[in-house]
Parts: sequence; C-alpha cells; structure tokens
Amino acid sequence: MIISKQKPLEELLDAIKNNNSFFLVGCSECASLCGTGDDAAIAEMKKRLEEKGKKVTGGFVAKTGCQVLGTKVELKKFKEAFDSAEALIIMSCGAGTQAAVEIFKDKPVYTANDTLFLGNMTRFRVFDERCSLCGECIINKTGGICPVTNCPKGLLNGPCGGMNNGKCEVDREKDCVWVRIYNRLNDLHRLDQMEEIAEPKDYGKHTKPSALTGKKD
Amino acid sequence: MRKFREALEAGEFLVTAECGPPKGTDLKEMLKHAKELFGKVHALNATDNQSSVMRVSSLAICKLLLDMGHDPIFQLTCRDRNRLALQSDILGAHVLGIRNVLCLTGDYVTAGDHKGAKPVFDIESAQLLQVVNSLNNGKDMAGNELKGSTDMFPGATVTPEAKPIEPQLMKFRKKVKAGARFFQTQAIYDVENFKGFMKEARKYNVKILAGIVVLKSAGMATFINNNVPGITVPQNLIDELKAAGKEKALSAGLDIAARTIRAVRDICDGAHIMAIGMEDKVPEILKRAGI
Ligand code: SF4
Ligand code: SF4
Repeated sequence: MIISKQKPLEELLDAIKNNNSFFLVGCSECASLCGTGDDAAIAEMKKRLEEKGKKVTGGFVAKTGCQVLGTKVELKKFKEAFDSAEALIIMSCGAGTQAAVEIFKDKPVYTANDTLFLGNMTRFRVFDERCSLCGECIINKTGGICPVTNCPKGLLNGPCGGMNNGKCEVDREKDCVWVRIYNRLNDLHRLDQMEEIAEPKDYGKHTKPSALTGKKD
Repeated sequence: MRKFREALEAGEFLVTAECGPPKGTDLKEMLKHAKELFGKVHALNATDNQSSVMRVSSLAICKLLLDMGHDPIFQLTCRDRNRLALQSDILGAHVLGIRNVLCLTGDYVTAGDHKGAKPVFDIESAQLLQVVNSLNNGKDMAGNELKGSTDMFPGATVTPEAKPIEPQLMKFRKKVKAGARFFQTQAIYDVENFKGFMKEARKYNVKILAGIVVLKSAGMATFINNNVPGITVPQNLIDELKAAGKEKALSAGLDIAARTIRAVRDICDGAHIMAIGMEDKVPEILKRAGI
C-alpha cells in the first residue's frame, strides 16, 4: 500500500493561508490504514483547523481516492458542502490529491500528507519499504528479496565493501540485504544464481510519468 | 622504477599508496607528499570524493600526478556519475595518458559532507569493470563502436575481513569474471585471516595488493571503527596504540603498518598503503618494512 504521513500542521496552515473554508476528503484504502485519511483523522483535522479559526464545511472518506471516476460519483451527495467551501484538503496520498485536482477544476486543492513509499504493514501502523516499483522485477533471481529497494545503493551483484558483521553500511541497525539474499539462496540451494553477473538495470523501463492500459480487448 | 602494469606483469612486489585530493584548490601539501613518494611507489591512487566528502576530482589529480612522472591509478566510483559520465571520464582518462582505473561502487552519500545529494549508483563496481573491458575492446556500454578504443588496466577492491565472508567472496569472483586484473584490498589487520583469503584468491589470475591503513592513535582507530565503512581495527591493536602512550602512538602505528607489510610480503603481490592524512609517513613505513 501507499504509505503517507501527515504534514506538520504549521506547514499545512502556511499552504492554505489564502483560504478560509474547506471540504475534507480522506480515503478508505491506504490512507485509512496509515491513519492519515480515515474518519478519525478527518475529525481531528476539522478540530485543529477550527481551533485556528478556519471553517470546515464537511468531509468524507472516499472509497478509493485515487480512482477518479468512482470518487467523482461518491462526491455527488456532498455537493452542497463542497460548493460552500473555498478549497479542498485531501487527506490521502499524492495520487488521491491529484485525482481531486482533476475533479475540482475551479477550486484550490491542498494535500494534508507527505507520501512516502510503497510499504508492507508489519504490525499495526508499522511499515517498511520492500518494492520501489522499478518497472522490471528481478527478484526471481534474488531469492524473492528485492535488492533494488532494500540496499540503499540498489546494488545488484552482492554486498558492498561497507557491509559489517552482516549489517548495512548505511544503517547499522539493518541487515545488509545481500547477506539476507545469500542466506536465503543458500537455504534454497540456489547459490548458483549468485554467481551470474547481473546486468545494469534498464532505467528506460521506468520513465516518469508511467502509464498503463490494463484493459484486454 | 617500473610502471605499475609492467612491474605487475614482471611479478615484482608492488607498492602503491594513496593521494587524497584536497578540499579546495590549494595543492601544495598534496604535491609535496606526491613528490616525496616519487621512486618509492609503483603507482599512486587518486581517491574519488573519498568517504563521500567533496574534493578536487580524481581525474584532475591523476593528470597532475602523471605530469610529475608518477603512474596514477584513477579511482572511479559509481556514486556520483551515471553510465554516460563514467564512460566519458574513462575515455577522458585515456586521452590524458592515464592507464590504470580502480572500479568502485563508492560509499553512500550520507557518509560524507553533502548528505542531501542524490546518490547515483546507476551501475556498480562489477558492471563498471565490464564497461572498462568493453571500452578497451572498442565498444561502449550500449554497443556502439568507438572511434579509437581505450587501453585501461582495470582493478577493483575486496574486503578480506568482511563478516560473513561468503557473499564478499562471491562478489570477488564476479569482479574477476568481469575482468579485474588487480585488487587493492580493504584494510588488513588480521594476517591469519588474510592467508585464508589468499588461498581462495590464488585460484584466479589476478594480483592482490594488501591494503594497509595507517593508524596514528587509539582515538583514530576508534573513529575509523565508528565512521569508516568497511574497516574494523581489532581491539588488540587499539590496546597496543594505547599502551604506547601519546608521544609514541604514531610510531607504534607505523610499526603496525610495517609489520603487516612484512607479514604479507610472501603471500600476496603487493601492498597498498592508505595513509589517510599521514602521506608523509609512507617512506618511513616502507623503510621499517624493509622495502
Ligand atoms: S525488483 Fe524490487 S523494486 Fe523492482 S519491481 Fe521487483 S520488488 Fe519492486
Ligand atoms: S551494506 Fe549491503 S545493503 Fe548496505 S549498501 Fe552495502 S550492499 Fe547495500
């Protein structure tokens, strides 16, 4: 899921300083799991904005905030509330915010969150990054563990010289991913996969902005 | 003194040292050290933004060393350059007359003084070795023909004291396969362990220069352990430096370096002395090591 974190209130207040009334939109998917876009987060945001003298005309949690058409349909029943707001504050990821930008052509749309990474939830609201969406997955050759993401340098051919006692040069609290990959391939009797020199990644596979049409004719 | 590659091919015991480019344009001290080492080393490495601290470019320093009559080893990391920049710097090194290149991945940017820099790592050490070999054969990474190929002698690094060692040895084999002709190792402090590594290394047709990192005090050793990726100074050496007392710690450090060189002399092909700020002490170390 997409991991997001609420911006410091001061930063948000500075961004919205030219407007006085707002309609809030959360998201029931990732942002709810992160606690940045669920009902409780919206209620809390309303309270904090009102304390700062701002007006909140309403709010709701969209089913899937990044789904433009669906969100547009869901919004219909809140027409009065968002019409009476000068601007929108979106409490989901950067993609959800831009879906709202597309829907609200004539109103300012602000994001309340910083969008961080594609994450796994390991415990309640504890997340870590395991895939960085590189566009050409190589983990069939690395024991199913992604070095592109788990190695800060994204190395494809084994540990760097900075690995120390199995720990990563960059963060000594973390295991070097290449030691993890080695151990896993060893357990699976597939160390042969580690003798092959991996080719440079084709960064042409991930030119921004990406787009995909998944429809089958 | 013979050039690095000739001496290597002739099987001489090789001595190389490091030249740390300064932070700023004042080269006096660095050039003075380089001069003192003239005739005492087969080659001098010019480090590349060492520990991710921004300094004069290694390529520029290599050219100055070359003009002084040294045989420079161009250290090239993948941290600051994408594949275009790496290849064009290798071509650039060749046209300037530089003939040795040490292919490195590079420390992560947060180790240095520009922590917010964008880390590149478009490719990495083993792949860079392949690139050098490809340029030597007249083709760039994309397979395009070059008008005039390079003649660069590629080297790499290895960390014989890495724990666990198996993944590191796997990478070492990849670097050999990718065309590395010589290795300048990370710091060696444990000679017994190094013997074990050499047993593996001797299976391949590559030359190994043992890395010697000079210590000047117990404090410096502790600093290295906490801040320099990939080097661990063992406690017994820290104790030895401590026991020597403030005045004699440096001399004890030079002894440790000389002693290590003597101990590895018969088991590997050379020594690579990383003096980290004590470049002026390299001749003394060589004297004490009997070289
Ligand atoms: S290689 Fe890593 S970053 Fe790329 S798609 Fe696979 S898991 Fe994601
Ligand atoms: S120690 Fe391992 S995970 Fe960390 S940067 Fe080096 S290779 Fe990557």
